[in-house]
Amino acid sequence: MIDVKNVTKRFGEGQAAVTALGDVSLTIPEGSFFTLLGPSGCGKTTLLRLIAGFELPTEGEIALDGESIGHLAPNNRPVNTVFQNYALFPHMSVARNVGFGLEMLKRPKAEIDSTINEMLDLVQLGEFATRRVDQLSGGQQQRVALARALAPRPKVLLLDEPLSALDLKLRKGMQSELKRLQHETGITFVFVTHDQGEALAMSDQIAVMSAGAIRQVGTPEEIYTAPQSRFVADFIGDTNIVNATLLGFDGDAAKIKFGEGTPLTVHAASTSLSPGPVHVALRPETIHVVDERAETALLRGEVVDSTYFGAGSQMLVRLEDGVSVHVQVSTPRPVGSRVGLECDTSMLHVLED
Amino acid sequence: MDKLLSIFRPSTGSRELRRQPLFTGMSWLVLLFLYAPIAVLVVFSFNDNRSVVRWTEFSLRWYAAALENDDIRRSAMISIQVALSATVFSTIIATMAALATTRGGVYRGRSAAIALINQPLMIPEIVTAIATLAFFSILRQLTGVTGIGWLILAHTVFCVPFAYMPIRARLSDMSVTYEAAAADLYATPWQTFRHVTLPLLMPGVMAGAMLAFVVSLDDVIITLLVAGPGETTLPIYILGQIRRGVTPEVNAVSTILIGLTVTMVTLTFFLQRKRK
Ligand SMILES: Nc1ncnc2c1ncn2[C@@H]1O[C@H](COP(=O)(O)OP(=O)(O)OP(=O)(O)O)[C@@H](O)[C@H]1O
Ligand SMILES: [Mg+2]
Repeated sequence: MIDVKNVTKRFGEGQAAVTALGDVSLTIPEGSFFTLLGPSGCGKTTLLRLIAGFELPTEGEIALDGESIGHLAPNNRPVNTVFQNYALFPHMSVARNVGFGLEMLKRPKAEIDSTINEMLDLVQLGEFATRRVDQLSGGQQQRVALARALAPRPKVLLLDEPLSALDLKLRKGMQSELKRLQHETGITFVFVTHDQGEALAMSDQIAVMSAGAIRQVGTPEEIYTAPQSRFVADFIGDTNIVNATLLGFDGDAAKIKFGEGTPLTVHAASTSLSPGPVHVALRPETIHVVDERAETALLRGEVVDSTYFGAGSQMLVRLEDGVSVHVQVSTPRPVGSRVGLECDTSMLHVLED
Repeated sequence: MDKLLSIFRPSTGSRELRRQPLFTGMSWLVLLFLYAPIAVLVVFSFNDNRSVVRWTEFSLRWYAAALENDDIRRSAMISIQVALSATVFSTIIATMAALATTRGGVYRGRSAAIALINQPLMIPEIVTAIATLAFFSILRQLTGVTGIGWLILAHTVFCVPFAYMPIRARLSDMSVTYEAAAADLYATPWQTFRHVTLPLLMPGVMAGAMLAFVVSLDDVIITLLVAGPGETTLPIYILGQIRRGVTPEVNAVSTILIGLTVTMVTLTFFLQRKRK
């Protein structure tokens, strides 16, 4: 288990200082596939480098299984990294690359050799042991980098966008390969990506980051179905975000209304919001299209576009306040017609900004 | 006149500049003056005649004579001894200096350190020579130590910047990710240096060492002032001989020196090209 406690990282001093991470706290469970997800420059690499030991925290503490490691040099941490550009040693064979960690730990030769074989089998590169690393394809180099980082059996494996250099097909293959490796080894994987699809497909847990802060931590399902903030909802994908008015709270539930409609009771990300205009998340697949005059319609608007995608159609409905909403339907209404939108109020929830 | 001026017009670009007749002519003239004397020297070292201006017949007799000459052999041995020692010491120092100036992070005075290391390239050699002579005389007197060590020390000092340049160039081209990866895989700083940095740096180190060797082998001015009795290097011996006129024997020795130098410089060039 990794415990990141109130870690702040600043680069530079005085006027020119950049705060890459601001008071970040995070718990990464042991043996999990944990993903750091966020846009470019949000501090994902910095957090990874802090865990690996390439950077020291300006403030705060990092602990691994209860022991503080924040001040240790990288070679004294039971943590290994798969670098974005692989960083395989060009002057060594594939086998020696894979055995490097154990060689530095001065393990017996027999153990090193058997681990090299085991690791190369694990990543299906058995027959490449004697090759030079520059004689391998990008995907093969990637797997050597994985084998090299796994060989010393670290407690934690850090992966910084390891798939971004691969083409789409190879990428899909490596995604399931990584899942399999994590499962077979039981090692905690901390995986960095800015691709939400990748994060949702692979992770046990996701931490969504923005601007040096963690916005939400949860399982892919929680992040997908119940984004807490407008940022997370926006970043994770095709969620609709509509305007509403918050009237107040009833325990944990929020009372809201759309336009001049009837008050509704829905979930809220936080009870600290003050009454007034708020944003509400609405997943496309939870919306039903009904007649404009239907009593049950919560929102009304005009169909402005409709795209067929095989299993159904996606319609774009412009609401009265100008906000557009995506809806998935099996039989689309003609463009230009006016419709009402109905949805399960238990699937609605109020976002923080 | 128009043609002459046109080479200064920026719009013509470098491709155009190369086609200017004046430019081509100048280049050939420079090359001629640079290499013709060397060619003449090399050719006459194979002349079967005492004259160094009149060609008679091909022969290797002056090479034989040079190799049998005890003075030449002794001074060649001294040259090699001094050059090898200075190469080893200056390359080690230059490697450490290059590591400190590229891998030690940014610290106050780093630019100053780099400038200081390269300073011997800027100061006229005769000034360094006189300063070294004076300084070493004091040290010799104070310590009572004599011998070839002083000459090696002097050579080491002026070889450092030559060895430093290619090593530093290679180090700053080399990604620090390799070293990070080694540290990540439990290598101590020393293990990282030994198993990763040094092997990857080797072409730069070899290039630096060869430059240092050539520079030491060719040196005259500092050696002339610093060398003690019986420490005559090959260039100094040649200098002494030609006071009595150029002999084919000197031509032969010079040709060997040129051959050695050209080989080293060519090797250096290829080592540096083998960057990627
Ligand atoms: N060594 C450094 N010196 C100064 N600023 C830095 C340094 N490293 C990172 N930063 C800054 O810290 C912030 C976070 O950078 P980081 O590399 O962690 O982002 P990231 O989330 O990994 O982005 P990307 O997805 O583009 O890799 C950025 O604003 C960056 O400019
Ligand atoms: Mg990054």
